[in-house]
Amino acid sequence: MPPGSGSNATLSKIKPSKYVPVSAATAFLVGSSSLFFVFTSPWLAQHFSLAVPLYNAIVFLFVVANFSMATFMDPGVFPRAEEDEDKEDDFRAPLYKTVEIKGIQVRMKWCSTCRFYRPPRCSHCSVCDNCVEEFDHHCPWVNNCIGRRNYRYFFLFLLSLTVHIIGVFGFGLLFILYHSEQLGKVHCAVTMAVMCVAGLFFIPVAGLTGFHLVLVARGRTTNEQVTGKFRGGVNPFTNGCWKNISHVLCSSQAPRYLGRPRKEQTVVVKPPFLRPDHCDGRTPLKVLDNGIQGELSHSTSKGSLEVMESQSADAEAPPPPKPELHRFTGLRAQLTVNTTEESSLLSPDNPATPTMYKYRPAYSSPGKNHSSKMSRGDSLREPPSLLESSQQTSYHSEPSLDGLSGPQPVHEAGGRLSGGSLSSSLRSAHTHPLGGGPSFDGGALTSVRSEGTTSTSYKSLANQTPRNGSLSYDSLPTPSESPEFESAAPEPPPGPGYSSPFLSAQIAQQREAELQHCKPGFSLPSHRDGLRRTPSSRGYEIEERDRLLSGPHPHQRAPPPRFGRPVPLSSSPPGGEGGPPHHHPPQQQQHSMRARSLGSPEKGYHHPSQFHPHLHQYPPPHGALGKSTSYTSGPGAPAMREGGVEFQQRHHGYPSFSNLIHAPKDEVQMKSNSRTNGQPRPHPFSSYPPSHSSQHSSNSSTGPASPSALPLPPPSHSAPLSPASRGGGGVKKVSGVGGTTYEISV
Amino acid sequence: LTTTPCRFQTHSLQDMRQQAAIASKVFVQRDYSTGTTCQFQMKFLPELENRIDKQQFEETVRTLNNLYAEAEKIGGKSYLEGCLACLTAYTIFLCMETHYEKVLKKIAKYIQEQNDKVYAPRGMLITDPIERGLRVVSFTAARE
Repeated sequence: MPPGSGSNATLSKIKPSKYVPVSAATAFLVGSSSLFFVFTSPWLAQHFSLAVPLYNAIVFLFVVANFSMATFMDPGVFPRAEEDEDKEDDFRAPLYKTVEIKGIQVRMKWCSTCRFYRPPRCSHCSVCDNCVEEFDHHCPWVNNCIGRRNYRYFFLFLLSLTVHIIGVFGFGLLFILYHSEQLGKVHCAVTMAVMCVAGLFFIPVAGLTGFHLVLVARGRTTNEQVTGKFRGGVNPFTNGCWKNISHVLCSSQAPRYLGRPRKEQTVVVKPPFLRPDHCDGRTPLKVLDNGIQGELSHSTSKGSLEVMESQSADAEAPPPPKPELHRFTGLRAQLTVNTTEESSLLSPDNPATPTMYKYRPAYSSPGKNHSSKMSRGDSLREPPSLLESSQQTSYHSEPSLDGLSGPQPVHEAGGRLSGGSLSSSLRSAHTHPLGGGPSFDGGALTSVRSEGTTSTSYKSLANQTPRNGSLSYDSLPTPSESPEFESAAPEPPPGPGYSSPFLSAQIAQQREAELQHCKPGFSLPSHRDGLRRTPSSRGYEIEERDRLLSGPHPHQRAPPPRFGRPVPLSSSPPGGEGGPPHHHPPQQQQHSMRARSLGSPEKGYHHPSQFHPHLHQYPPPHGALGKSTSYTSGPGAPAMREGGVEFQQRHHGYPSFSNLIHAPKDEVQMKSNSRTNGQPRPHPFSSYPPSHSSQHSSNSSTGPASPSALPLPPPSHSAPLSPASRGGGGVKKVSGVGGTTYEISV
Repeated sequence: LTTTPCRFQTHSLQDMRQQAAIASKVFVQRDYSTGTTCQFQMKFLPELENRIDKQQFEETVRTLNNLYAEAEKIGGKSYLEGCLACLTAYTIFLCMETHYEKVLKKIAKYIQEQNDKVYAPRGMLITDPIERGLRVVSFTAARE
């Protein structure tokens, strides 16, 4: 669909109402100024000097020029993404993708209309039906969006209009003062009328000008200001006052994306094709894990895909208790297609499997599961690394191994896959012979179940939700999300052998550490940096987990969705909790996520108490109509006030359902929730302090002790964690009105 | 680029797009780690492993990033351009090309040259990211 087709579509039924404000504005501007020039200026030119009307004329010309540019210039509309960019069925992709900008986690939302993840500061204008770069607001007075390309003209329009109004009013007053005895004359009457109009418009225009002056100085857009995204005071897009101003006023005119002449490339592309030589150290490596030997390099990804497909096809999750679990198969098939923006293999042999509910979790390579995972280093809808690593590890292993790893891991994979956020990352885990397949599967299944209720965070559901208003921050969850989160039913007790994810995570990390020290032979391809783990480590991890499952801690079983729940939390009987506890884990998970994602604790930290209601200090811009009000609660708002999603969003900034289903033990899962780029994440600590409520309040409040997990040694327990988290931690989560949360490394 | 008329096939980009079903596309995303300045990720994607050298890829992306940085540079030139536009009530835009557009032309030329020299012999094509709103650089691999 061509961009802007929405507006084209409305041409058939032109809505006159949308032209009323701009017509009125134009009429007032041109009409009043013309009257001024006709009736007032001649006397002023005679009595004082010609410079007076000349000055007014120049200012008026400036106003009109900027007004026209603001009205007619493309604000920076993104063209709709082409089909090939989103080959996967968008039902499967996560709704949000996280990137890290100067140490702050920023969420990118999937735009169902435009078919891409909205770049930071981009928002979709419902009036114009377009995603606009650096969206400021939709201004009805110019009947146009204000975005990156025309913000400068809008700002200058406001400035010049203020100056013009002051000039008109001032010179009109001068005229009136000199004609005070002839007030009945036409000239005086007209001048007084013009002065009235000018005086009336001066207040809102000057207010708006002041508002935008502050915005420019702070490097914020109206959208960000109104939705309170940076209420905590940390704006990743600011470069300092001077640089912000110069960026607005002095930068070169940004190019338009629409309507560009498309260049036909005629390039000779004929086989045979050169191939890169592999003598630069990229030799195939054998990864030894549990006796599995697999080659890391693969011939063609397509071939790998086929292998994977067959393997995944073999794996069938146990019959799901709920229909949503059919997702498993769809998801697996989806994985095999591996169509991401980064590595989309458009093969006719691998059509996207239609499922009623598809989710494409944030995949990470299996190897990365254990290391600082979330640090995927890029914002992928579907990281190819996962696929490749899985391809590289087990699928090329010997047949016996495949057979061995076939049925068991599949369970896990299936479970994981359904778990959405977790799935892909854990996918590789199942490639190794594991004893704990079924046990983990149970947990995964339950996680899937809970995930089913949180379907709103999928892109598919995003497509169904109404678009937000022009000003609403795109990360705002739709109201439909919260009830679903809240209504997430308590999960049935996990199956036998299910172990606490925390414990597993702990074990996993221990194992990782061991592996790192003991297995120097493991090495990943050069282009995979240390962020990724060998899949073999995963296998060990799972083995350990299984051992522990049957070990001396049977009581550590907890309902699968409560991945974030600490193991020793005796207050909550496993499986017995409903809604409220359901939300706790995400918070805790968030802590760990934050800790993991923000490796450097030295980022600017702004005490939430710096939060101040900027929202109310300036007259709201007339175009700012779509502000969401559901998040205007102050820092002290009770955690659960707005239900699951909002709560989560406020405190975690991850409204995607997958947050609910965290298995904190798996960094992979965390990672899948928030695809951060480049930040190694410390392993989540195994247990959280049971003081959920305190964490909640501290989370939502302006307390500095935003519980955030610092990178702590794996065998950690709650004691070292809580002081660290309460001591101002490594990560501060700042939540804004719009439900977006920014994580700031302290 | 020598051509043997009887053997060579010219694949226009349109053709490649139409053959998308049999060609693979790799998308290099934007790198937002330093804000909204236009940069593309230098991460060498695994799908490209078999096709091009890592150095070649990084060189291409690095050059593109530098070019975009030059386009967005705020300096004397862009400031003067803005002042001139203001003074002429923006009518100067009718006849003059902005600095950004000039650099975009340079980028297009660079991409064309890279396609001709480096990527087409390896069966790949790069598309200009401006066509997609500077969101991704797409590497299209022809089917072997």
